[in-house]
Amino acid sequence: MVLAIRAENLKVGYASEEGYVIWATRGVNLEVSEGEALCLVGESGCGKSTIASAIAGVLPPHSITEGRLWIFDRLVIDGPRHRFNGVRGRTVSLIPQNPGTSLNPFITVEDHFYYIVRELHKLNREGARKTALEHLRMVGLNSDVLDKYPHQLSGGMQQRVLIAIALASGARIVVADEPTSSVDANLRAQILALINKLRKELKLTLLLITHDMLSTASVCDKIAVMYAGKIVEVGSTQAVLNKPYHPYTRMLLESIPVLGSKKPLKPLPGEPPSLLEDFSRCPFRDRCPFRADVCEKEPPLVPVNGTGKPHYTMCWRFKEVIEHG
Amino acid sequence: MELKGVWAGYKIVWRAMSIFKRYYVVLKNINLNVRSGERVAIIGESGSGKSTLLKVILGLLKPIRGEVRIHGVSIYQLPWKKRVQTIRKVGYVPQDQYKALNPSLEVKQILAEPLEVLKLDKKTIEQRIKEISKLVGLPSHVLDLTPDELSGGMRQRVLIARALIHEPTVLLLDEPTSALDVSIQAQIINLLNDVYLKLHPTMILVTHDLAVAQYLADRVLIIKDGIIVEEGPLDCVLRSPKSEYARSLVLSYYVTASLNRNELI
Repeated sequence: MVLAIRAENLKVGYASEEGYVIWATRGVNLEVSEGEALCLVGESGCGKSTIASAIAGVLPPHSITEGRLWIFDRLVIDGPRHRFNGVRGRTVSLIPQNPGTSLNPFITVEDHFYYIVRELHKLNREGARKTALEHLRMVGLNSDVLDKYPHQLSGGMQQRVLIAIALASGARIVVADEPTSSVDANLRAQILALINKLRKELKLTLLLITHDMLSTASVCDKIAVMYAGKIVEVGSTQAVLNKPYHPYTRMLLESIPVLGSKKPLKPLPGEPPSLLEDFSRCPFRDRCPFRADVCEKEPPLVPVNGTGKPHYTMCWRFKEVIEHG
Repeated sequence: MELKGVWAGYKIVWRAMSIFKRYYVVLKNINLNVRSGERVAIIGESGSGKSTLLKVILGLLKPIRGEVRIHGVSIYQLPWKKRVQTIRKVGYVPQDQYKALNPSLEVKQILAEPLEVLKLDKKTIEQRIKEISKLVGLPSHVLDLTPDELSGGMRQRVLIARALIHEPTVLLLDEPTSALDVSIQAQIINLLNDVYLKLHPTMILVTHDLAVAQYLADRVLIIKDGIIVEEGPLDCVLRSPKSEYARSLVLSYYVTASLNRNELI
């Protein structure tokens, strides 16, 4: 197994105007093998989009990094230094969050493809049109779309075009940042099924960022749950969804409304912590029903035994959590 | 509340011969009866006319044809002043929580505004704000903050508080949970259920999420391109959807919940 993405104690922060640094991710360790699909879930502000842009190589210039990140054995983030050239867009490509604002309104769909493959594959107009057609067919669109401007397409079609563009670069790793958050329920299923199909056909490594845990169960092999800038639980999809060890994962699952089952919703009390807080304690402590004196120290990410597959959680009291439910 | 054969739309050309050339028609012959104390969810994809329907009920958009009655009064036949008085019985939670709150006012001023229009004295206003913030779970220090200092969940609570503060009998909610995280969404769903149990308003909820409607509505209405394609209790719709659109909608939920994932492609 070749590791596609490997992060070692990766920290990404943003410098504020007052001079201090807000750490959006506070030391993430992550390993994704080639051909695997990993799903990052968490509430807004937990740092999942920051991880996505770090891996896709589109961190804003005022960001500050620490730790290391490898993509296919190439060290792209080494402390404060970035070496994304040759990787960004070629090995890794990004499906952005908002299809409405990610396409250039002044140029046609064909031009979008043309400008990308001209740079990457040195193709001319004709070649670009051919590549574009090929990839649009892959996502279920036909040749009429080529000459249209983005505003002439519906939201679902725009999303499909973006997926086609991400694939046209020939990237082996695709980072999808909330590809379904701005589309209707009906389309959401179609887009997810499409991503799933393409991933299997092209043997892509997929990193899916989302806050909708249940709908990703059909797409991903592994789930990593993030909270306050750290991964608090990571394991195979089945294991995490059926037998969560971290109280946060457990409570997140209980707060999702499921169609057809009228279980009472148990919302998490309180709100996610601000990233400026002191994190020497367990970040989930204030909302956790299992808190005890040990929680005054931040727990490490430890393996959970039993399942055979690697499953890690960041909780001192995970044994009590399991016994309780 | 009652809607009788309502056609509504937006004016595009001023002097056209036919009504259908003059307007971009969004709602086509909507008939809807809501008993008082009932909870109805309106479900549809974007562009299907759900928000336009709320505008018509709110008295903001005069329908091209048809009649809207709130508590037996046909609101669009009244003169403007009287219409406003009738519509005061309706509370409205708008969709975009970033645009809906005045960024230069503190939360307590935002909550006081609807009562100042009603010319209540200061003591009553304060009392009312205290009651309502207890009901929706706003901590007292939040009242002194401005909206940009609040989190999404708190902002949604402020919007719900503002909609309820003048004691309306009808509550309209336009996508109350779509901009929130699942954990906060569950808080708001439970809050709206509590509010319903305490005040028993007539609730009309616009959403595109069937799972949310399941918790907040007795009856659902599915709109497609301005026509009601499905109507009834959610359980019945889930079990035997009559229209093609409702069937695909229900199916897509089961697909996303990975029960039946290969059927779509």
